[in-house]
Formats: sequence, structure tokens, C-alpha cells
Amino acid sequence: MIELYHIWKQYQKPDWALSDITLHVEKGDFYFITGPSGSGKTTLLKIIFRELFPTQGQIIIDGRNILRIPDHKIYKLRRTMGIVFQDFRLLFHKRVFDNVSVVLQVVGIPRKDIRRRVFNALRMVNLHHKMWEYPSHLSYGEQQRVAIARAVVNNPKIILADEPTGNLDTELAFEIIGLFKEINKQGATVIIGTHDRELIRHFGNKILFLYKGKFIRKEAL
Amino acid sequence: MAVVLYLEKNLTKIEVSQIEEKLKRSSLVAKIQFISSTQALEKFQIKFPELQGIIENFKINPFPPSFETAIRKNSLSSDEIQNFIQEMRNMDGIEDVQFNWDWVEKMKSLSRLVKAVGFFLGGILILASFFIISNVIKLNVFARKEEMEILRLVGATNTFIKIPFLIEGIILGILGGLLSLILLFLLIKIFPFYLGTSLGVLQELINFRYLSLAQTAMFISGGAIIGFLGSFSSLARFLKG
Repeated sequence: MIELYHIWKQYQKPDWALSDITLHVEKGDFYFITGPSGSGKTTLLKIIFRELFPTQGQIIIDGRNILRIPDHKIYKLRRTMGIVFQDFRLLFHKRVFDNVSVVLQVVGIPRKDIRRRVFNALRMVNLHHKMWEYPSHLSYGEQQRVAIARAVVNNPKIILADEPTGNLDTELAFEIIGLFKEINKQGATVIIGTHDRELIRHFGNKILFLYKGKFIRKEAL
Repeated sequence: MAVVLYLEKNLTKIEVSQIEEKLKRSSLVAKIQFISSTQALEKFQIKFPELQGIIENFKINPFPPSFETAIRKNSLSSDEIQNFIQEMRNMDGIEDVQFNWDWVEKMKSLSRLVKAVGFFLGGILILASFFIISNVIKLNVFARKEEMEILRLVGATNTFIKIPFLIEGIILGILGGLLSLILLFLLIKIFPFYLGTSLGVLQELINFRYLSLAQTAMFISGGAIIGFLGSFSSLARFLKG
């Protein structure tokens, strides 16, 4: 499903943000990538959805080398993914509903279905009652849940989440990861970057430990 | 603008009416009035009563019969008139055609000059509006760069992202076109009003008229095209492919 071969990434000489990362994620896997901040979790995820290019290495997703996809066709890759960004990346001048529905709009889903699916996604993250509010009126944790709803609304094959529970209380964090587990059971491949040990202890079966851009340990519990 | 056709004397009524028929058939002629020799003499006597004596010295009426024709205003600047006059000169029964050539030539060169200046200014203004629209869109794109980036990350195609900006450009262009049409309308209304008295005879010649429907449509669609191209060019730099 997702194959990374000898990925190196350098932002600035002489430090390597990622050093020789090789990883094979099978379809239906549920991975945690963990490590202290600055260890390269976000960089790795950004490379997988091609917001960043690696300095060296190759990435194959679904049998395609994603580094060779031309810019104007990258939307095809992104449509197979649901991404929760560390900084949420919400559209602050648009309502919660529009923030989530945009993912369905870009693929041309009929309006009637959009309404139903957005409502369901928001109900999953317990925000359906705030559907018509603006993100700026929501708390940090609520904004994060909007970002999660947006990531799952189109039933993506791959979910990439960068610290998706960073600002949530433990109870809600568990609920959200439970939600990802649920989607995972339906066949989606999930990769979550987090430094929350509690979460990993509770849910983790495949865990990658990153430290200074290197895998120091792979663990399959 | 009037063209006077002096007829040969001693034409029969049939010959006169044949000439009249021919004139009526011409698309350039708006109005025809026949002036007989007697009517011409009467006109002269009314206009120049102090020359009464000269006339009385003539044994016969020296005035030839004539047709006074009015030429349609919209054909004034065309070469058709020259052809028409030439044709009339060659026609049987017509002695002379009187028409103020100097005036026509002067008006023609003036209108050529005005046209040239118009095209020059128009070209500059088209370029200016192109750059203004493209800059407005560029600022807009810049302000919404983050939104565009998010749209790309959730799988929007470039076209999906571009369309609102292109529509905005087209709307700006159309609004610009409409606004200038309104200004033009007001100008045409007000200009003769201010200059009316000082223009005098010229007012008859300088024909202020509104743009035709086709011209109006061209004007507005031109605006839309400039708007589209303006936003297209500014988007091209932000979104490759």
C-alpha cells in the first residue's frame, strides 16, 4: 500500500530531518509514528502526501511512484487520502459545514448527499450541533475535531493524522482514536503521528519510534 | 446633407418622373423634393428681394428645375456618396450636381483623425484595464493563497481552484464595460447640450449617436474577455499546470 525506500530529507545543511527511512505499510494497517518533537514525524507524513519532496528516496503508494506524479495530477493522490494537519488548516471565513463539505465538493458529489455525509461525519466527532458556526468561534479542540471530520468524510483509503489528539482531553482523544480504529476496520490504512504515550499504550499495535530522523525501533505488539 | 441635382430645361414630365424614380430607388436618398423653374424663381425673389431688378431684366426664367435630395445621415462618411454623385452626373437629363466636396473631404479627414486618436487611446485603455484587472486578481489570489493551498491538499483540481477567480475577472470586465457604456451615454446626452449653440452648422454634421446593439454587445463581451485574460494570466503564475 505505502512503501518508502531510503527516504532522506534535508531542510538545511548539515542536519538531516529524516535519514534513510524505509517502511512498508500494508493495506489495512494501523500505525503509530512516535518520537519527541523535532524527530521528523510531521516531515515523514508530509512526504507521504507529497506536500514535501524527499531529498533522496522513493515512495510507492498503491503501486505508483508518487514523486513522479505531475503537479496538476496530484489531486488524484490526495483524494484517496484523509489528512489531519497538525495546524488543522481550516478555512476560517467558512462555516464548519463548508469546511467539511469542501472535500466532497471537489470530487463532485451531489449536494443532497453532501449534507447527509457532512452531518454524519460531524456527528461522529460530536460537533453536529455546531455545523453552522465559524471555526473562529470554536475552541481549539473543536477545531481539531472539524479537521478530523473533514479527513474522514470521504471514506478515504488512507488516513494520515498529525497529532490529531494533541489538544483533546484523554476521553475525547480515546474516542477519536476509536473512530480511526473503526474506519480502519472498514479497510482504511491509518498512520497517526503522536507523542501521546498513553494513547499508544492503549491502542498501539504497530509503532515506529523516530529519533532525530531515524527509526530507532519498530514494534509490533 | 443635401445634394442638389439641376435638370436640363425642357424635359418632359415623363423624363422628370423617370429621374425621380431612379433617385427614390437609391438607398442613400432620404428625401426628395422637386423644385420647378417657377418655384426656384419665387424662392430667389423671396430670399433676395434687393435683386428684384436683375430678374425683371430677363425675358425668360433663368432658373433650371431641380431635385433637392437629402442624403441619409449614416451614409455620410462612406464612399458610396461619391459613386452616387458620379452616377447622377452621368445620368441623362441632369445638367449638374451640386454638392459641397470640400466639406465632405474635410469631414472625412477629421473623422479619420478622430478615429486614429480613438484607436490609440482605446488601445492604451485596454492594456491598462488588462493590467488593473490582473493586479486586482493577483492581490486576491495572494490574500487567498492559504485557502488555495488547503483546497489543493484536499484534492481540488487546479480548474476547481481557478474558476471562482476567472468568474471574478469576467464580472469585473463586464462591470467595467457597463460602467463605460453608462458614461458614454451621459457624455452623448450632455456634450451636444453644452456645445449645441457654438457648434451651429457643425451640429448637423457631427452626428452624436449611441452604439448599436451589436456594438454594445461587442463592448461588453470585450470587457469580459479582457477580465478573463487578466485573471488567467495572474493565476498562471500561482498555479502551474
